[in-house]
Amino acid sequence: MRRKSLSLGWGIRREGRNFWTRNAVKGVSVRKEKRKRDGRNEWRHWNSTKSKISASLLRTKKDPRDLLPEVGQTCLYLGASVGGTVSHIHDCVCGSGNHHRGKIFAVDISPRMMRDLVQLCDKRPGIFPILADARNVSELSPFIQKKVDWLHQDLSIADQAKTFIKVSEAFLKRDGVALLSLKGASERNSEGDMKNRFQNAKTIIEDSRLKIIEIIDLKGLEQQHILFNCKFR
Amino acid sequence: MRLQYDWRLARIIDDENVILDEIYWTSSRGISSVAKRLLGMQKGRFTNEAKILFERFDDVKISPEGHLEDIDWPEYTQEDRDIFEMAVIKMAKLGVAESSGNMDRRLDMLVSSANEIRSAWTTSESRCIEWIGLFLTELNLENKRKEIIEAVVSNGSIIEVANFLETVSPLHLPTTEEWTSMQHHCKSVIDLVIRMDEHEEAIRIFSLDYIPSLSALLGPLGAAKLVVLAGSRERLARMPSGSLQVLGAHAAMAAHRNGAPPPKHGSILFSMPQISKSPRWVRGKIARYIAGKASIASRIDHFDGKSWGKNEVDEIFQEVTKIIEKFPKPPKRTR
Repeated sequence: MRRKSLSLGWGIRREGRNFWTRNAVKGVSVRKEKRKRDGRNEWRHWNSTKSKISASLLRTKKDPRDLLPEVGQTCLYLGASVGGTVSHIHDCVCGSGNHHRGKIFAVDISPRMMRDLVQLCDKRPGIFPILADARNVSELSPFIQKKVDWLHQDLSIADQAKTFIKVSEAFLKRDGVALLSLKGASERNSEGDMKNRFQNAKTIIEDSRLKIIEIIDLKGLEQQHILFNCKFR
Repeated sequence: MRLQYDWRLARIIDDENVILDEIYWTSSRGISSVAKRLLGMQKGRFTNEAKILFERFDDVKISPEGHLEDIDWPEYTQEDRDIFEMAVIKMAKLGVAESSGNMDRRLDMLVSSANEIRSAWTTSESRCIEWIGLFLTELNLENKRKEIIEAVVSNGSIIEVANFLETVSPLHLPTTEEWTSMQHHCKSVIDLVIRMDEHEEAIRIFSLDYIPSLSALLGPLGAAKLVVLAGSRERLARMPSGSLQVLGAHAAMAAHRNGAPPPKHGSILFSMPQISKSPRWVRGKIARYIAGKASIASRIDHFDGKSWGKNEVDEIFQEVTKIIEKFPKPPKRTR
């Protein structure tokens, strides 16, 4: 029996516990994910165990649409790695051949990851690969043309919350969506156990211009991770 | 008054947001020239236009992210957009290409590859010995260990091997296919030895050039392993000597965090005869002393100091002997 599908915006839909994005490059999977045809369109499976955004879409108790960027918006993705999640964001923001004129600035520090990311960018216009240290705002600012609408930070470093605030204040529009995937294991040992580390990050974010909308626990999909969904005031 | 700029233009704006002066980049644009500009800006340099304006006005505040705040900042034209997109991709590719010039990454590849070959050799070598030992039951596997594998490679059958090694012929013979597999596996073990030697020679040459002082103190292979464990030469040079002392003792450090006694030394320092051949009760003292000296050596190497030679290292080792002499007996157990 076919499952009922629910649209979460342009180019993304939910079927049961699965998310699918409309593939911008037909016939190609980025990390060997399933594809399926539906009339003229091809949909690509967005695996919730491999992407923190997809996992949080599944776990959120509020409207999952609030977590996603809108079509044609400008996005900043820190810690893009080889671009698995970036490719799905590209599906919903830019579309095939970037006909929506969206922009995704994908930042990573590792040349090894950048090597694969650049190959992805060749196929998907609208993604800008930036080899830089995301902690250093001045390394990013020459590339960012305008304040961005949507920000996701996925860095395995200490002081993730502080970096998140610094970057949001520099690059995020008012009322822009800011998502922080906080990896507890990357924070300093001296901060105590996971619960303490998450609490410390929460306090730091609450003291800033960011308003926490929801804290999503990704337990079961990503170990020792929580996702902060914030809005910039 | 503040100076705002991106790769296309620079502007001086006063406190009432009035544009006092602006210069556009007008010379012909190519992908390379845009990439070069962006690279300069990423490293914190001014563009030429920004530099001119900065010198033209006094008391200017620089705001590199200012163009993001400015609602009047000129939009990108289609031409700007296209050239920017190509330049950004070119820059990323350049950055990736640059990484092969990174000596730390190259050393990492070399050392990790050598480690993998060594572990492959250990596994395959003991498998070959056991395999042959299954057939040649009277053979002393300990005394003749070094000759067995070469004997299998250079002889045509297991009986010939038995004769060559002067032992009793096997009761049951392997099939032809079994023998061929065994012989080829032994040959691969010998190949691994050759490859390991090549790798270690390459590491030696690399280390003597890249980390001469540390190599003089710990030996080129140990020094290279320390750099790889630390992540890079810079990280090693910036590391406190206490951390250097326990590099390679991850498990012991993790246990220490949960209450176990701290490790005296990591695996690299322990491989030095000055530590491993010393009495148990002075090993920690010597490890601490040598780690301190190794820390200095890595700083000399990284920050372009005068490299250490044999004299300096001999002096250090004399000091180590003094430490051993100072503590001839184990300390009394205290309750």
